[in-house]
Parts: sequence; C-alpha cells; structure tokens
Amino acid sequence: MASTACFIIVSRNDIPIYEAEVGSAVKKEEAAHQHQFILHAALDIVQDLAWTTSAMFLKAVDRFNDLVVSVYVTAGHTRLMLLHDSRNEDGIKSFFQEVHELYIKILLNPLYLPGSRITSSHFDTKVRALARKYL
Amino acid sequence: MDPTSSNLGKMLLEEITPVVMILRTPLVEESCRKNGLSFIQMIQPFSNFNNIDVPVRTASDQPYRLHQFKLRLHYASDICQPNVEAAEEHLKEVVTRASDNDLTDLNSDPPQLESLLRSAESESQSSRFQIFNKELIRASSFSEHEAFDHPVACLLVVSSKDDRPVNKFVDFFNTNQFPSLLNNGAMDPKILKYYLLIHDNQDGTSENATNVVSEMRGTFGASDCRMLCINSAENGSKDWQDNPWSACNSDALLGQDLGCFLNMDDLDEIKDLMQELSSKHIIPHMEQKVRVLNQQVSATRKGFRNQIKNLWWRKGKEDTPDAPTGTMYTFSSIESQIRVLGDYAFMLRDYELALSNYRLLSTDYKLDKAWKRYAGVQEMMALTYFMLDQSRKDAEYCMENSFSTYLKLGSSGQRNATRCGLWWTEMLKARDQYKEAASVYFRISNEEPSLHAAVMLEQASYCYLLSKPPMLRKYGFHLVLSGNRYYISDQRKHAIRAYRSALSVYKGNAWRYINDHVHYHIGKWYAVLGIHETAIKHMMLVLACGHQSIATQELFFRDFLQIVQKLGKTFEVFRLQLPVISMPSLKVIFEDHRTYASSAAVDVKESLWKSLEEDLVPSIPIMRTNWLESQPKKKYKDSNICVAGEAIKVDLEFKNPLKISLSVSGVSLICQLSEKTDSVDSEVGDQHATDVDGHLSTSVLQNDLELKKLKSSWELNSCNSSIVLSEVDFTLGGCEKTKVHLAVTPQLEGVLNIVGVRWKLSGSTVGYHNFDAILEKKRVKGKRRTRKSPSSNLKFTVIKSLPKLEGSIINMPERAYAGELRLVVLELRNQSKYPVKNLKMKISHPRFLYPGSFEDIEAKFPSCLEKQIDCKLKGLHASSIQLSSNLLFSFPEDVTIQGGTTFSWPLWLRAASPGSIPLYISIYYEMENVSSDMRYRTLRIHYNIEVLPSLDVSVQINPSPSRLSEFLVRMDIVNKTGSESFQLKQLSFVGCEWEISSLPPNGTACTSQLLIAGQALSSFFKLKKCDKSTCEPTTSSLSTLVGSDVSFGPEAGVLFDISRTPLADFHRYERLHQEKAEEGDPSNIDFILIAQPQESIGGSSAPARLFCHHACHCSIASQIPISWRMDGPQALHHDFSSSFCEIGLCMTIHNSSDYVVSVRIHTPGPQSSTGQLSDATGIAQSPRLAGNQEGWYDVSLVNDIKVTSDVMGTLSGKPASLDSTAPYIWSASSSTKIEVGPMSSTKVPLQVSLFSPGTYNLSNYNLHWSLLLPSNKDGLDRDQVRQTSGTIQGHSYYLTVLQSP
Repeated sequence: MASTACFIIVSRNDIPIYEAEVGSAVKKEEAAHQHQFILHAALDIVQDLAWTTSAMFLKAVDRFNDLVVSVYVTAGHTRLMLLHDSRNEDGIKSFFQEVHELYIKILLNPLYLPGSRITSSHFDTKVRALARKYL
Repeated sequence: MDPTSSNLGKMLLEEITPVVMILRTPLVEESCRKNGLSFIQMIQPFSNFNNIDVPVRTASDQPYRLHQFKLRLHYASDICQPNVEAAEEHLKEVVTRASDNDLTDLNSDPPQLESLLRSAESESQSSRFQIFNKELIRASSFSEHEAFDHPVACLLVVSSKDDRPVNKFVDFFNTNQFPSLLNNGAMDPKILKYYLLIHDNQDGTSENATNVVSEMRGTFGASDCRMLCINSAENGSKDWQDNPWSACNSDALLGQDLGCFLNMDDLDEIKDLMQELSSKHIIPHMEQKVRVLNQQVSATRKGFRNQIKNLWWRKGKEDTPDAPTGTMYTFSSIESQIRVLGDYAFMLRDYELALSNYRLLSTDYKLDKAWKRYAGVQEMMALTYFMLDQSRKDAEYCMENSFSTYLKLGSSGQRNATRCGLWWTEMLKARDQYKEAASVYFRISNEEPSLHAAVMLEQASYCYLLSKPPMLRKYGFHLVLSGNRYYISDQRKHAIRAYRSALSVYKGNAWRYINDHVHYHIGKWYAVLGIHETAIKHMMLVLACGHQSIATQELFFRDFLQIVQKLGKTFEVFRLQLPVISMPSLKVIFEDHRTYASSAAVDVKESLWKSLEEDLVPSIPIMRTNWLESQPKKKYKDSNICVAGEAIKVDLEFKNPLKISLSVSGVSLICQLSEKTDSVDSEVGDQHATDVDGHLSTSVLQNDLELKKLKSSWELNSCNSSIVLSEVDFTLGGCEKTKVHLAVTPQLEGVLNIVGVRWKLSGSTVGYHNFDAILEKKRVKGKRRTRKSPSSNLKFTVIKSLPKLEGSIINMPERAYAGELRLVVLELRNQSKYPVKNLKMKISHPRFLYPGSFEDIEAKFPSCLEKQIDCKLKGLHASSIQLSSNLLFSFPEDVTIQGGTTFSWPLWLRAASPGSIPLYISIYYEMENVSSDMRYRTLRIHYNIEVLPSLDVSVQINPSPSRLSEFLVRMDIVNKTGSESFQLKQLSFVGCEWEISSLPPNGTACTSQLLIAGQALSSFFKLKKCDKSTCEPTTSSLSTLVGSDVSFGPEAGVLFDISRTPLADFHRYERLHQEKAEEGDPSNIDFILIAQPQESIGGSSAPARLFCHHACHCSIASQIPISWRMDGPQALHHDFSSSFCEIGLCMTIHNSSDYVVSVRIHTPGPQSSTGQLSDATGIAQSPRLAGNQEGWYDVSLVNDIKVTSDVMGTLSGKPASLDSTAPYIWSASSSTKIEVGPMSSTKVPLQVSLFSPGTYNLSNYNLHWSLLLPSNKDGLDRDQVRQTSGTIQGHSYYLTVLQSP
C-alpha cells in the first residue's frame, strides 16, 4: 500500500464530492490542503488530456515533487483522482475501475442527486477496502 | 518570429557582448565623481551602439555588417566570480525594493480574474521579474569555463593630474591588478590594450595633458592612445537636453544632478571615444582573432586525419580521473581556443561558425568528462540554435542536457543551472510554449533558496496564466507556492500579493481545505502588517471550518480572536458564521386570543387545537365582526396580533459547526416598534425599496447596508423602554446544537417588527443576523406557498393589554398505572386587574380526565367514594352530556376569576389504558368590562401522561352445568406490573337484572386478596338472574349504575360506590370505548374491579390510590345456544340376579338463542358403548375446548398457575375411580330429534340399561344441534362468526348401582 495516497472524486462542475485519505502514512495536519492543491491544479491537465484519448484511465497526468496524480475520467466527466507515491499502475487502474462501479451504484440511487456530495458510509468503507487491496 | 526581437534575443544581445576591462587610477575616479558618477557610469551610456555600421568578414571571408553593438564595461577588480553571499544579499535587496515599489493597494479588494487575464502579459514581462532575472544571471558571470565573459580589451585610464602618467600606465602591468582569470592562465594575457588619459578641465588647461598624450603615443603606439577632456562646463550650466544617464536605471543615482560638469563637447568626445574603441579596435581585433583561431582549429581538428588523431588521443586520456572543474584547460589548449572562437563568433553574430565550433567542442568535453564545460557549451549551442531559429528540438535538447548536467555537478553548477534555466524559459516563452516554461521555472525553484524560488514560482504561475487556454488552477497553485516561499523569506507584501491573486482563482469553489489555507494565511499576514480590518475579513471566512481537525479549528479561532483583540474594539459582523443559526428552526410563539399554559402546549399542532376548540370558541366570522372589522384598515390581516405586556417568544436554534466549544453571550432580538401605524407603512415601504436596491447592487454593499440597519435598530432598542428584550448566555460544546428561547415584550401599542438577532461571540465579536431576508428568499423559493405561515411572520400588531389566565394542573402525575384513579386540581390564575367570566373547558380524553364537582375539592380521597348509608344518586347532571370523544364542560355561571386571584377546580384522572397518552385541555374565557379588540381568549393546556400496565382483567362467563339461568363467572386477573402488589377490594357488577355472588357462598371470593407483582389469579363468581322488582324503575336510565358488589377478602370492608360521579362517569366512557358490535344486547354485562396498591393499605403517608378496572360488554351468551341438564337418580339398589336394571333419566334442554334450535340426541349402540369411553371423549373434547378458548389471552407467566379450563367440571380427564367395566346400554331410541323454541326449555326422557352393579359415567352421548335460521339473511349477516350447528359431548353423569341385598 502506498504510504501517501489521497483519493478524491470531482464532479463535472469541479466540485469535490468525495474525499478520502487512503495512505498508510500517518496523516499530517497540513497534508490535507496540500493534497487538495495538487489535485486541484492537476484538473487543468486533465481538462486538456481527457479529450485526447478514448480511454477512461488517463494514467499519471501530473506530478508534484514525488507525488503523482493518476486520473480516471468517467463518461459523465466525473473525475476520479488519486494522488499517490507508488508506481503500481495496474493496481491503480483496477482500483479506479472498481470505484467507478461503486460510483455508478451511487448514481443509480434515485435519492442521490448527481453532483452532490457522496455521504454514504457504505461507499466510504468499500473505497477504503479497495484502496487497501489495490494500492 | 525573428529571434533577435524576442525577449531572449534582446537579452542575449545585451548580455553576451564583449567585456572591456578597465584599469584606472584613483584620480580618474575622483574627477568623475564630481559629476556624481563613477568612470564606468560616465561612459556606460555611450557603450551601447544602436546604429553603427561596421563591416565584418566571417572566417570564410563572407562580408556582413554589424548594426548594433554593445560593450560591457567592468573594472578589473570586478572581473571575478561574484561572492555567493553578496549576490544573495543583492538579490534580496532587489526583491525588497520591488515590494516597496509595488503600488497595488493592499487594502483594496483582491483582483478579479478577468483583469488578471488582461494584465497577465504585462505582468509577466514586468520589470520586477526582468531585473531579478538579470541579476540572477549576472550572479553566475565571469566563470572560467566560458569565454564570453572574458575581457576582450583592456582600457587603461590615467588622469592628467597623476604625476608621470606614462609611468602609471606601466605600473598597471607591474602592480598585478589583473583579475585572476588572466593570471591563472584561463585566458590569454595578451589582450588588446587601449590607453586613455583623462583631463579634468577644472584643473587647468589641457596643454600639459597633450604633452603627456604625445609621450604616450610614443611609448604605446599612436593609435592606441587617446585623451579625454571632461568637466569642461561651468557648474550647473548643462547645455544638453536629454540626460543619457536617466536611461541607465540605477536607482541609487536618481535624484542627483548627474553630469553637471559635462558639456556637450565632453559628451561628444566620450561618444567619439567609445565609437572608435569599438569599431576601430575591438571589432577588428575580434575579427582578427576569429580568423586566426579558425585557422588553428582547422589545422589541428578539421579533416579526416585530425579527427582520427583526436579520437586516438582522447582515448588515451580516458583513464584520467574526472576533473569537473576542468583546470587542465589553459588558454593555449585547443579546447579553450575553440571555445574562444565560438564565443567570439557568437558575439560577432556569426552563429554558423559558433555552432560548428560548439559542436566540435561539446564532443571533446564529453569525452573528457569535463562536465561543467560540456554543460556550458551545450547551453551556448542551444542559444545559437535559438538565434539561428533552427531546429527547436535540438535547442531544447541542448538546454535540457545542459541544465541537468549543471544540476548533476551540485553546488558548483547551481548558479549556472539557474542561468541556463532562465535562458531556457525565455526560449520557451519566445516560442509560446508557456506550459513547458512554467515547468522549467518550477524545476529551477527546486534548486534555489526560498526567495529565488518564490520569484521563479511566481513567474511560473504567470506562464500558466499566459498559456492557451489559461491554466488557472495551476496558476493559483503556483502563486500559493510562491507566496509561501515569499513568506518564508520574510517578504510579506509579496506573499500577500501572491495569495491575493490566487484568491481570484479559488473564489467560490468548493475545495474547502484550499480556501481555508488561503484565507487563513492572508488574514494572518495582514494582521502581521497591522491591517486588521482586512485581516478579519479573511479570517471570518475560515471560521466555520467544521471539516478541519480540532487543532486547526482551535488555531483558526484563536488567531481570529487575537486579531479582533488587536483591533481594539468590538468587531461587528453581519451574518457571523459562528455559531450557525439554523433559520428553519426559527419559531415564533406569540399569544393573541390563544394562550398557552406551557411550552409543551405550544408544540402541539394548531389543527389539533382547532378541532378541539371547534364548538368552544365563537366561530370565526363572529370573531371578525367583534374586533377585526372595528379596525379601519385591512393590513392587519398579514400581521399577527399580540398583546402589550405579554412576551413574544422566539425559538432559534444555534449550532456550533466546530469541535471546540464556543461561548456566546448577550443573545437578544432586534426589534422595531413603531407606535403609529402610518409611519410603519412608510417604513415598510422604504425597506422594500432598499431591498430591491440591494438586489441590484453588489451583495457586499447590501450586507453593509443590512448591518447598518440592524445596528441602528439595536441601538434604538437598547435606549428605548418600550421594548423589553431578554438576553441569553450559553456555551456551545463541540458540534452541539442549542435551542435558544428569546423573548421580546412590547410595552406599548403599535406595530412590532422583529428584525434580527444579535449575539456576542467570546466577548469580543458581535454577530448580527437579520430574519426578513431569509423570509424573502423563502417566498421566492416556494411559489406554491404564497401565504406565509403565521409562525414565520415577524410583524405584529400590538394591542392594549388584556387579562390573561395562567393555568396548570396540580399534582398531575407523569406516569401512572393503568386503572389508577386520582383527584387532581386545575388551577387558574388571573394576573391582571380585570376579572374574567364565562369559563368553559374542553377535554380531549374524557376517558382519562373528567371534571369533578366543586365539592370534591375538599373531599378525602378515596374514602369519599365509599358507599354511604344515605346513598343518593349523583352525577345526574352529566347524564345529559352527549358521549363523544371530547368533553365540553361549562363551569357554573357564577364562576368569575377576579384579577389577581386563583381559581381551583377538581378533576378526576383515571389512567384508562396503557400507553403514552396526550391530554389536551382548552379553557375558554371572556373578558369582563374591557373595551378591547379582543373579547375572549383561550388557554391551552397540554399534558402527557405515561400509563403503565397494571392489572389485566378478563372475564369468562359460562352457563352453569347444573342450573339453568345461572352462570359461572371466571375472572382472571394478572398483575403485569414490575413491583407493585395489589390488594383486590371489590368486584362490582353493573346492572340490576343479575346478581353476583362469590362462588363459595360464604362471602369471600378467594383465599388471597393480595396479588403480588407478576402473579395471576383466577376467581369464580356466580351470576344469577335476580327477580328483584326494585330495580325496575331504574333500568330505564342507562346512566344510573346500580349493581351488586362482591367484596374480596374475609373482612367485609367498606364497599365503594360505583354509582357515584367519577366511577360512574368513567364507566360510561369505558363502555363507549369497549363498545362491541352487539350494542344493547341485554346479555352483555359489565364488571368493575376495584383494587388498591399494597403499600397504601399499610397507612403510609403516600396518598391513597385507588385502581378501578372496567370489563365491559362481557357476553353471557356463549357460542352454543343450548344448555341441558340430566336429571335422574344418583344411586340406587337393584337385584341383578333377577334382571338387568333399567333406569329412566330426564334431560332438560334450554335454548338461549333467538332462533329455533333443532337438537338431536345421539346415544351410541351396544357395540361401542363401553364404560371406558373416557379416553375417546378426552380426545374428542379438545377441538371444542379450543373453540371455547377463543377470546382468551395466553397467560404465560413465570409462575404459571395452572389455569383450569374445565370450569364446568364436565370434562375431567380420566375417571380414575372407574372400576366397573361392565357395559351399559342406552335403551329406548338411539337418536332423538326435537326442536326447541327460542328462549324455551324442553324435556326429553332417556333410558339406560345396566347389567351389573357399579359406578357408571353416562357421558358417551352426543348432542347435535343446529340453528333453524329464518329465511331472511339479516340475522346471519349480522354476525357471521356465530356457529349455526355443532356437536357437543355429553356431560358426565355418575350413576352408582348396587346389588340390592
């Protein structure tokens, strides 16, 4: 498992709808905003890159020092972004695919308004379990 | 795009130019100082030639012309690697100066994104960055591995005042003033020299000087010497217009009167000198050198032979250790010469030549592993490619190569790496590759100290802004990074500027950690600069940071308070985020004609009260004619009514979003009370007008306006006695919610408007929040709900003060056991001066609560319920009341409550059934002699009573097997309480047709009258039809309860009178409640069980309690319509020796149903008739038993008492004493069929034959019955469940026959 990893789901309106620190490292106080900064900045790259390929998994799109941002863009232009320091691309791809499935399940919930924050604790547990499994 | 016109091209043309080393005597400097200039400064402006025309030939004799040229002038002492610390210091100074010059107003609002995009170009090109970059590049000048910084010529300057100037010139060479570069052999000491004599005209005529010049010419050669006359002008009489020094923007020189002693001739002379120096000496010299070196290089390195040789030679040197500094190359080495050749060619703009040489050199250095030199050459190659505008890829590759090679060298290459990076970024920018440029800036920033990094990052951010399309998020991120670095290196203003610009990107986005970080830091830095107002503005935005950790929240909050403290006054905020007010929780409680006894009553739904009060209050149209129409205007319709002197309560929920606790004090409402209605109208109009304006203008302005409005209202409130406001203080723990009850009491008539709320956070910050804006919003949102709900309407019409009753029920229990009977007292207080009259009361659950009579109040409970000798009928007044689920009770006419008095009225409370029971009481009263708008008011009282289960009574009635028209009553009583024990007192039977008596006829119903918690008890009674004619007159009135009572226990205690008011009334309601389908069926009878808890009997101080349980509508009609009795002899003697014994029996069958019943008596034949049929009957009885058990609940208790279901004793199990096995035969007919008319009896003769003596159980017969229903189906439809036919096993009938002696 990566020592630092921050997973975030950004809605098509560029609003983070789900955030999780999934790294095994001890969570540092200032890490939270740093991670947000990096991921937020990486959106600029994603914006360009997303239209150049038909693949959903964009691989590593951006880096900041030793942290890498991997992105998966769904058909609805929701972006699953992972900030990590490991280089396990296959694992990340599987992680994204499974989270995408979970996300679709969330979307299928008639009470969930697309683009709103995901508050389901079940989703959270599942994502963390996937992170443990793949990252 | 022409590379020379790009930024980088200009820079290169300026920076990579021949260096002229200057050696001068102190007297020269002295002369120049008179003008406020050093020697270099004096001649500097003239070393830049923008329109010269010098013909040059390339190495291959191609002529071309130079139109632009520049010389760099440096003192010999300056030609060395700059000191790192000094350079650092210098750069810091540059940045600080830039921040001081920064004209942006820190107090103004952060820049908008649009304006940023517009100004991006100019900003990124701004002189701030240019200067810094230039300085940073200069910091790495004069390194020995690069030839373009090596002096091309040497200008020796001596003043004419020096004694023996010619000797001075010679001294320059002796005193070894040359820089180390020349001395350590890095460059050729044989350098072009030019001799200059300075003559100061203030020191006298130039005659002496001319002599010296001629002497010089003799010594050093005619062309290389020259004289320069300066300071020819009189003081201050400048005859030239544009100051050439103003262009050289050295800030330190500004303001002085520069060049005041120089006249036009002097300037011309200087110009002339420099022109001559460059075009006649330096350029030809360089051209010459290029030619010579080229020839040398061609001879040694070009051609196939040389290449092989070179390779071979290099290979031989392979084993030599790495020498990154490259000291092994002296000026005479071929590598240095190639480098010089390349650099000279570059400076003369013969880029082709330069490139070919650099290429040659780079392979050499690479093979030699002279990395620094290699990197330097690569760098030059890239620049050459750029200037040639060729092969962008190669240029970038070389730059990348050079940059990384420099970085690999560590600290020694760091400066160069930075310079290389800056060239690179400029190159990328020139080609519009801003994104790449930004990443290069970022790479540079990683290697540099924080201050440099900050500048680099800021430039990177501008690159992102300039890229197409603009990458705003990257821009923001790099600005934040840069701001952070600025702050680390103590450049607060720069830091703030960077963050403020970043703010425009992050404004209004949902990335909370980012927003918090940016606002917090800006706020903090503003506070450090002492700009507290702005600091607070930013700090406010991070206060409601529920997502942050506790430590961060504490930090934010503490810093916020500190800044507020520093501000030195209470800080007032409109819509402070701490604590959060939840607007939907806003609830206004006011009392117009509806008044409430407690807050619990307020929470009850209005519709519930309305339905309860339906026939209590006058209907609405009447109400209108009474007081509303008397008002001249209609506008009160949309405002609520309240009474002067009575508080309007506002409930508001405060929520703490943080995990730390907050102390909030002085929470109070802000109200406007206007006494005249007209002025209110205009004011309201104004308000609406301003609201509209507010929507048009920016939200900030509106907020300011609102705050001002609220503040002024508050100040008015505090000095106005007409409104009394309550203040509340509280502390909110982490994430807590508190409902705050605020109150406002208007003292005068008028119109009251509740505008907002004000509170103080931590004693220093005052928050304001207005209400009406929210309502406004609501109205817009919910189009369907155009009418505002009254609780959200905050406008009140205050009317004259009125009497108001306050009421409560004294000793109302919160919980009670089911069946508990109590006397409670309703107490009404009138606090006003005026009396009230016409009291009426409505109770929602009369089954639970019933008004008593006034005398009951002094009565001693429970003895007042006991049967008195002179038993007179009471409760007749209640008999006329229509039984309904609500009870309307009018107090006697003469009841008025005078001002300031208290009025009490007894109420009977009986906890009828278990559960949580809400009781609603509404009391109506009218004001007496008050000429007011309001004529009546209601007081609403609400109590909730929790009723626990106690005794559970169930009754089963079976017809007596032995007697007709007698019934056995079995009463099962289960104590369901946890701890209470009950003393059973009395069972009363209601009705006069029947008489009840305990089954053992000695008067006590059971052995134990005590029922301990959890136990069950069954007791038996007999019910007999009574023929008493005394009952007859009373049966007509259903309400009069006459009945018979049975006392439990051996001592015949005092019996309670069930016909008296509370018991009888409650019984009526109980009947109503337990009502079944067959109402009015005379066969339904009611029982009342009265019990007392165990401890109250012991005479303890606790108030005596009484429990009464009502079991109503117990049907005596069993499912089987028939009952029968077997009559005959029990024992007799017979002589069996003579004959068998024939015994005649008689069966009496009674039909208790309304229909004709056909009964068939089936007696089995001789085959199956054995005396041991009891087993079979035992089995046969079970379905019937189950049928009989319907309606019985399952008594499953721990200490399960065996409930004996065979009440009739007919179906006992195995008859153990059955010793006789001898058969008997039913003689006569085996099956008899008869019809029994409704409610009548028939006798049927039966005969049995016995063959031996013994005891016989004659129960093996069956009765088949079926109802002969009338043809119309009404009867059937009414009760489908009723059986229409069935079979009954015979009762056991024991017959003993003895052998007669």
